[in-house]
Amino acid sequence: MTDEPSGRNLDGDAPVAEVVVETDEATITEGAELERTIGLTGGLAIGIGTMIGAGIFVFPGLAGGEIGTAATASFAVGGAIALLVALPTSELATAMPRSGGGYYFISRGLGTLAGTVIGLSLWLGLVFATAFYLVGLGFYALDALAQIGITVAVTSDAIVSAIAVLAGVAFTVLNVTGTENAAKLQNGIVALLLSMLVVFLGFGLLEAFGVVAVDTPPGQAADVWEAVPILSVAALVFTSYLGFAQIATVAGEMKDPGRNLPLAMVGSVVIVTVLYVLTIFVATNVFTRDTLLSAGETAMVEVGRALLGPTGALVIIVGGLLATMSSANASILSTSRAIYGVSKDALLPRRASRINLRYGTPHVALGMAGGPIVVLAATGQVQLLAEVASFLHLVMYGLMCVALVAIRRDRPEWYDPDFRVPGGPVVPVLGALASFGLIAFMNRFSIAVGIAVIAVTAGWYFYYARDVELKGAL
Amino acid sequence: MTHVLVPVAVLEGETISPGLMSLLGTVDVTVLGYHVLPEQTPPDQARLQFEERATSALADLSEEFRAAGGAADHRLVFTHDREQTIQRVAEEVDADAFAVSGTTGDVGRLLVSLTGDVDVDRVLSFVEALVGDLDIGVTLFLATGERTRTADAADAGESEGIGPTDATDAANATDERLEAAADRLREAGIDVATERATKGSAFDALIDAVPGHDAIVMGERAPSFRSFVLGDESDRVATASVGPVLVVRDRRESDGDDANATPGTDE
Repeated sequence: MTDEPSGRNLDGDAPVAEVVVETDEATITEGAELERTIGLTGGLAIGIGTMIGAGIFVFPGLAGGEIGTAATASFAVGGAIALLVALPTSELATAMPRSGGGYYFISRGLGTLAGTVIGLSLWLGLVFATAFYLVGLGFYALDALAQIGITVAVTSDAIVSAIAVLAGVAFTVLNVTGTENAAKLQNGIVALLLSMLVVFLGFGLLEAFGVVAVDTPPGQAADVWEAVPILSVAALVFTSYLGFAQIATVAGEMKDPGRNLPLAMVGSVVIVTVLYVLTIFVATNVFTRDTLLSAGETAMVEVGRALLGPTGALVIIVGGLLATMSSANASILSTSRAIYGVSKDALLPRRASRINLRYGTPHVALGMAGGPIVVLAATGQVQLLAEVASFLHLVMYGLMCVALVAIRRDRPEWYDPDFRVPGGPVVPVLGALASFGLIAFMNRFSIAVGIAVIAVTAGWYFYYARDVELKGAL
Repeated sequence: MTHVLVPVAVLEGETISPGLMSLLGTVDVTVLGYHVLPEQTPPDQARLQFEERATSALADLSEEFRAAGGAADHRLVFTHDREQTIQRVAEEVDADAFAVSGTTGDVGRLLVSLTGDVDVDRVLSFVEALVGDLDIGVTLFLATGERTRTADAADAGESEGIGPTDATDAANATDERLEAAADRLREAGIDVATERATKGSAFDALIDAVPGHDAIVMGERAPSFRSFVLGDESDRVATASVGPVLVVRDRRESDGDDANATPGTDE
């Protein structure tokens, strides 16, 4: 095994490799330094900001509609799996605090084929996830329009798709041309969302335990406490847990990565899991599942209305708009980093990581994110987009756990993580089994689309980059 | 040896004026080439594309500094946060001061501001080292308006109406402080003048005092609400005065490193 990546791709480019020294404040390469500028707050904001949009504002209607209060168990299962993966990811990220996240760990631990497949599916997985967030945004925007009295003549599905497409184009353009510091804005939005949720959930819980009474509409449908439906809903809502690995994509820019990476990943998973479970509990306590099902993606607006009147509905609409926007924006940022990681290793044409001279932004990578996002957002298929995104991420999560076991076995000289998952191979093995296992509970068609994507990425490897050797190289 | 950090936005075509370069001929210089990236761009990605160009520009600059007299080296940093980078590198190379570059010809006279809670001792030592044997005059500047306000911050209620006795006391104290500083520089053989501003904002007074001077030396001050809203004081002085500004770092802070590190973190 070599310590240097080697080989050339179809264009004759070799992976870029050099000796670097990582400190807590910067990455020091031969001729330059790369400042680490993201603190713990920034890391948590990326994680929570990416995740919270889907789990709280889009899924309660769909998940609660399927199985009622039992959906709390689905979210708990999702959170447990995310945690099982977040721990091994933290160990890998503290050993390799580089841009690219999951792709980087897998290419180094399991070799170029797995690396290419995951690198490209991370990109496409994020594309599916972003499209899903944008469709969610579309539903909330439609509700906001209805709220201010604008009703539209055309079918609502077409409007949702149109809004999602417009938002997708807008985010891409903003990311290419915007040099303002959106991270501060993102931190602010996350803080605002969290405080809104705490108040809202606090009131909802008071109501649930009978401290305050609100008229809740009667319903007949009972909750479905059965393992298979719970797990299949968990597979659907797993999209709400995709954000923590996005923190790993900015690992190269994180200050004091040995401390902040594990804290941000594990912390954001724990925080959103608690919020999700409570939200579902409140939502299914107010409405029974048939009511939730008919309210669909924006069921939370009705929950807000039932609990706090028009103000409640308004708070949830504003929250939903902010949250889906922040999820979409954070995902677009991670996507461009995922593409950069792959192109640096010569698995995609080097052109993909060009930087625009005028704005200093990676316009090619952002375009490669934005283009497909817009196409997918136009479909307006919430469930399909969510499940394919989860599928592609779950494959990566499972392989990250496998990569951890493999790297620990191979013990390359450079492997010296600041954070080690306790319990030997137990956590990564469970994480891998749980990730792959959850895939089995997905909708058949989503699985088929996911497998097709993986097959295409593997085909790309054999066509473009079969001579590149990355395994074991730092 | 006195060491000065000279940050340069190297890929935006920023250069160092000949006047600043010869002024810094008596000290060691580290040229800090930096490039600020929007958060969409991983710094590593920018490095791959721009490193060569930036390094050759930096090598030229440090060559010119060496030609001007002192020892010079250079560093290149890709960052999302300019302030953080300057602070970190200044700390690492143990710089006594950092420059905010501006345009000037040959420097004949320096304006040295002692206003506010700055480490006067360090500022003066730095000026001594900088001027050395060169034929450069120094004007010591102290604005009292602000000083009185900070001193009386505890009883903020009477910030408007300071009694006549208080004002005289304050004026006397200021005079003593200025004179002590001037004496010290005169002993080192430097041509010193003093200037005192008693009214209005310290910032405006300093800018009003600029004509007739080619560069400004000032002490570093802790970040405040003001600097958070309006931007770093030294940057504002540099913008308003056009000429270069040398900011003498405050080493008293290094004891409280933690408290110092936080403001940059969440900005």
